Amino acid sequence: MTEPAIHLHELCKTYRVPERESGMRAALKSLFHRRMQDINAVDGLSFDLNPGEIVGFLGPNGAGKTTTLKMLSGLLHPTGGECMVLGSVPWKRERTFLRQITLVMGQRNQLVWDIPASDSFELNRVIYRLSPADFRRTLNELTELLELGPLLKKPVRNLSLGERMKCEIAAALLHRPQVVFLDEPTIGLDVTMQRRIRTFIAEYNRRSGATVLLTSHYMADVAALCKRVIVIHHGRLLFDGDLSGLVQQFTAHKTIIVQLEDCQASLHAYGEVLNCEDGRFTLRVPKAQTAQVTERLLADLPVIDLLVEDPPIEEVIDQVFTQETA
Amino acid sequence: MIVLQEIRNLLRLYAQQFKTTFASMVQYRASLFIWMISQVLEPLVYLIVWSTVSNSSGGSVGGYTAQGFAAYYLALMLVNQFTYTWIMWEYEYRVRQGQLSFALLKPVHPIHSDIADNLSSKLITLPILAVVAAGLALIFHPTAAFNWWAGLAFIPAIILAFLVRFLLEWTLALSAFWTTRVNAINQVYFILMLFLAGQIAPLSLFPHWLQIVADILPFRWMLGFPVELVLSRLSPAQALLGLAAQSTWVFISLILIRLIWRAGVRVYSAVGA
Amino acid sequence: MNTLRLLYIFFRVSVLNETAYRVNFFVQLFQSLLELGTALAGLAVIFSYTQSLGGWHPDEMLALVGVYFLVGGIISLVIQPGMSALIDSVRDGTLDFTLTKPEDAQLLVSIQRMAIWSLLDLLMGTGVLITALVLLGQTVGVGEAAQFIGMLLAGAVIVYSFWLILASLSFWFVRVENLLQIFQSMYQAGRWPISLYPGWLRFALTFVVPVAFATSVPAEALTGRLGGPTLLGAFGLAILLFAIARLIWRLGLRHYSGASA
Repeated sequence: MTEPAIHLHELCKTYRVPERESGMRAALKSLFHRRMQDINAVDGLSFDLNPGEIVGFLGPNGAGKTTTLKMLSGLLHPTGGECMVLGSVPWKRERTFLRQITLVMGQRNQLVWDIPASDSFELNRVIYRLSPADFRRTLNELTELLELGPLLKKPVRNLSLGERMKCEIAAALLHRPQVVFLDEPTIGLDVTMQRRIRTFIAEYNRRSGATVLLTSHYMADVAALCKRVIVIHHGRLLFDGDLSGLVQQFTAHKTIIVQLEDCQASLHAYGEVLNCEDGRFTLRVPKAQTAQVTERLLADLPVIDLLVEDPPIEEVIDQVFTQETA
Repeated sequence: MIVLQEIRNLLRLYAQQFKTTFASMVQYRASLFIWMISQVLEPLVYLIVWSTVSNSSGGSVGGYTAQGFAAYYLALMLVNQFTYTWIMWEYEYRVRQGQLSFALLKPVHPIHSDIADNLSSKLITLPILAVVAAGLALIFHPTAAFNWWAGLAFIPAIILAFLVRFLLEWTLALSAFWTTRVNAINQVYFILMLFLAGQIAPLSLFPHWLQIVADILPFRWMLGFPVELVLSRLSPAQALLGLAAQSTWVFISLILIRLIWRAGVRVYSAVGA
Repeated sequence: MNTLRLLYIFFRVSVLNETAYRVNFFVQLFQSLLELGTALAGLAVIFSYTQSLGGWHPDEMLALVGVYFLVGGIISLVIQPGMSALIDSVRDGTLDFTLTKPEDAQLLVSIQRMAIWSLLDLLMGTGVLITALVLLGQTVGVGEAAQFIGMLLAGAVIVYSFWLILASLSFWFVRVENLLQIFQSMYQAGRWPISLYPGWLRFALTFVVPVAFATSVPAEALTGRLGGPTLLGAFGLAILLFAIARLIWRLGLRHYSGASA
């Protein structure tokens, strides 16, 4: 049984924020007596990641994903609990630890703006003390996988958003880290670029065996890359397991698609009709009744085709979060 | 009637601008404080340097004793504060941020809100500086002659000085329409001010030919002249000539503003405001 | 040592950054020459009325101007840009990238940005200094030269530590970028010997904003005016201030990363 690459146990992060009502009276009062409120950004989170896993980290905004990622990369001190990454305590920020991890933040750049990306790479080479041979080898591999060739000599500011992101990712992987934290890496990118980056991450993980923890709002990222997802909300673990398991556990409905001659028939008796187009009805039925409704449809109507589907993942996640807030 | 209405509108504009300026000054208290340090330190340093020279040269230099220098530089500090503008940086910022379009859309000439902003902030900074100057006066014991007509002539002199300086610096600020190298232009301007407005030394300490140059150029009339006047270092004839020179420069600068503003707006709109 | 390689690589990045804008070189050259010209013209005016300014002769004043530009060049080359960038990165969170790198964060933020064209000021200052040395001739011996180098180093450490302390305040307070301006505002007083100023101003320029250690003290060392106490005091202050700056930096980082105080 190998050591987990990432280990969290009852990890907590609480912020104290000043609480204040609006208005002049409250503003003046706050000069003398400030009421503090405790916000639990992360509240007793526990999970383990094995080396080489790609795990999706899901949650609505403010769920605690970025806070957790920051604690795992040593940027934040937790308020409680324990956490180990590659056998080190992250916030001790030991050199050996920092050399083995990397953090990519979708909305922030570490590349120097006015110079070609290759010069920023040089910077990282010196900072991470890479030998010229290793550096060249890794760079060639990344250039090939990410199709960076023509981009390297252009000043970063002249690159498109997607091209910039590819270079940012390359810069972050030059030192062959064993743990890769990706915080919304595909945000703002077009669909083609998103797909390319997904392919890259999968390939990189396969070749290097690095452990990847990925947060994203795009379900397509998670569905394509992550066999395992961890869902958090209000700083607490909601689900940890297979993506399909997530759908199973949290959805109360299934979608039945029935193809008839036209949209004339009224199918309200069978379930909730979501829409109809050219005779193709989309019905939502409670999970438990799926088999029953299917039987009745087939028996009662001239069905040309019938399909039973899980609701789209976005809807499931949506349900999960609204359920929790309710 | 229309004139009265115009004046009332203008006054309302100025009053409103004062409120806005005051609010933003409160926000930027720290930078205001730091800026005022340099406003005080620069004349203070010259005061000390020249006093040292004067003390080691038998008590006086070029008609100024150490106490005379103290009076000169403290007066300079206050007059400078009254006539000072930062409008060149304002316009560089506005052009860079593309905010000039807003000013161009308004029905009032932008120079009015600029003057209002300038004067409003001085309503706050001048009293503070006056207190500092009073404190420094206790330390450095300035002495100066005083006579009534010079004191009276000082009032139009300082108002004209403000106008000459503001109008010319406002015109210079429009260079932001044509170039981004405003810093370099400003630097040349400030060096000219330093030497020819009586900052690095009272102008009477310069060789005669340089004093003539200073009389022809506008810088002396923006700053040095009112200072020399209030310290009673000028004869009535010199004072009158000075006021005439200031008025001439106000007239010249109004023409310049007209021409350059029109040209500038054309350039700005051509590029695509 | 890796520090030197880091220094070189950041320097290289800054050069590459700036040479993208060639015109800046000529503009900066123009401005630096203007500044130097102004300083020298000012000296000329003063010395047309006297032979010595508070005991300082023209050649000695020239040396002071040289030091003023030399140290000013160092500050605008590496200290000011780095500390200004530090404040920005605390505010927009890009400091996080620096913190995930396996190098000392204080070192990285201090050399992360350089304004390459300030090298012109540095060169100019050195040129003026050499001119002054030639003029001063025999009066500058090995002892004075050694003290000068020592005071220059001590001055650089003191100024750096001062700026770092100010910039580190951005970990706790928000609008700190204006605070950095205070050094530049008061630096102009460093063009003249500190001994001219009344006691309270001398105190402010020594212990509140350490302008004196940047310009006057090294110049005093060069012109043989430096007393033993000042020499030792400067070294002592350099060590002390550096330690304090390091401490405040570490405390700031802990605050930034939410460690319990």
